[in-house]
Amino acid sequence: MNHSRIMIVEDDTTIQAQLQALLAGNGYEIAVATDFSRVIEQVRSFSPHLLLLDIKLPGNSGFDICSQIRAFSDMPIIFVTSSNTDMDELESIMLGGDAFITKPYNTAILLAKIAALLRRAYNLGQAEVLTWNGVTLHLESSAIEYNGQRAELTKNELKILYYLFKNAGKICARNAIVDFLWDNQLYIDDNALSVNMTRIRGKLDGIGLTDFIKTKHRQGYTL
Amino acid sequence: MNGNLFLKNQLPSLLINFAGMLALVLFLTANGNPISVSLLIAIVWIVVMSLYGVIRFLTQKRHLCKLLDMAEQLEEKYLLPEIMEIPEKADEVVYYHILKMAEKSMLEKIGRIQRERKEYKEYIEQWIHEVKTPITAMKLLCENNGSPFTREMLAELETLNRFTEQTLYYARSEHTEKDYLIREIGLSDVVHSAIADNKYLLRQNNVVITAENIDNNVYTDDKWVRFILNQLISNAIKYRTQKPILRFFTVKENDRILLSIEDNGMGIAGSDLPRIFEKGFTGQNGRIIQSSTGIGLYLCKRLCDKLGIGLAACSEGNGTTITLSFYINDFVTGVQG
Repeated sequence: MNHSRIMIVEDDTTIQAQLQALLAGNGYEIAVATDFSRVIEQVRSFSPHLLLLDIKLPGNSGFDICSQIRAFSDMPIIFVTSSNTDMDELESIMLGGDAFITKPYNTAILLAKIAALLRRAYNLGQAEVLTWNGVTLHLESSAIEYNGQRAELTKNELKILYYLFKNAGKICARNAIVDFLWDNQLYIDDNALSVNMTRIRGKLDGIGLTDFIKTKHRQGYTL
Repeated sequence: MNGNLFLKNQLPSLLINFAGMLALVLFLTANGNPISVSLLIAIVWIVVMSLYGVIRFLTQKRHLCKLLDMAEQLEEKYLLPEIMEIPEKADEVVYYHILKMAEKSMLEKIGRIQRERKEYKEYIEQWIHEVKTPITAMKLLCENNGSPFTREMLAELETLNRFTEQTLYYARSEHTEKDYLIREIGLSDVVHSAIADNKYLLRQNNVVITAENIDNNVYTDDKWVRFILNQLISNAIKYRTQKPILRFFTVKENDRILLSIEDNGMGIAGSDLPRIFEKGFTGQNGRIIQSSTGIGLYLCKRLCDKLGIGLAACSEGNGTTITLSFYINDFVTGVQG
């Protein structure tokens, strides 16, 4: 799923740069449209997997660009705009836009939408298992496995472990873990995180994994 | 038409008639006619004169009553000259033209005000559009450079964004045009988006959230409902007490789906409860929390009225439950399905 190419068509330079930083930080290859009179040529030469398109642009509007692209490509197009009128939303759907996100957007939601659209458009299967140091996290069946022993996980526990596995080797701040859970619509607070952590450690002990999750004092957790 | 006033208006012509009558009687008597002749003439004169007066009074009264009726039934009274008969009497023609002039100037003024309001609304919409660009940029800057400082900034940005949205929806609620789009939406999606919109504020205030059993679909405009929920969430944060809890849940009741937002905040006094949806009303809580504006709930109510959503508040002692009721319209489902 990573190494997908995404092109940003956005005229505000700060948003352009920050969006680029955000997406590049999530493993995407990014190109930014610079000359708004030649967006189509730039799209053709970069041939992105997905396009982030603002509606209000100098020169041609995002709608024009979208319909021109649709003449030669089916790539997913996400409209990102600050105008949230129904007419704009309707028009974006009619012209073949795949998603309509209004500014200011939640970055977690934007990233999730990008990932979902790329998965759907290019049949990229989501990794069903994550592995670290011989421990396997099964996402589909919500379980953790070590040396042939399995432990079932609750929704919260799975998401916490998913985040730790994704950031394996790095220190994950408690705040960052709670943020991640909130972005996944699991509204747990700091105390509940501690409770979940204790429970996860108990389950890990049960399958012979002690000290798999290490606590970094005042910093967070790490695998 | 007032009879006495009519009589008073006829005074000059009555006096002239009586003077004429007196002169005639004097003249006839001076010429040796018997008094009975003068009396007869005077009586006939008076009868004809009063008959004429009564008939004139009655016809005029009928005519004016019709006009008055017409004006009363008319919603836009200034349009009366458009539907009334064009009068024939010299003075009435003048009045008619005056009415016409008044109508014209009124229409011009209304047209001008409508145009100005439309332009102002367009300006507001455009302004919101413009201001969202720096808000988005700031949000991205903060999220890309996470620190305790940027977390506080992000919470402030959520408040800033809500206030700009409030301006937008205020402008929209004032307008009679239809600015919404009804379609089938999942309530859980709207609730989760609204929570996401206030993520940093809720986290900053350690609000415990439960959102369970909200997987109902309703027909409404998701953006409007999201805005309403944002207002309600911000109220729950504003009027929180120690250990704030916010609970979202739905109940299906006959032909309605009720979405409730329950908090354990300071609640609303029973005497204030009937007035919380009034514009500018801040009540007892407003005296404690200085930042109350009396706009949020008023706007929620207006938007709900436009969308046909029921809005009710319930508060006993502490804690408030606000309930949105969505009608499950079989007709809509039938057409769409």
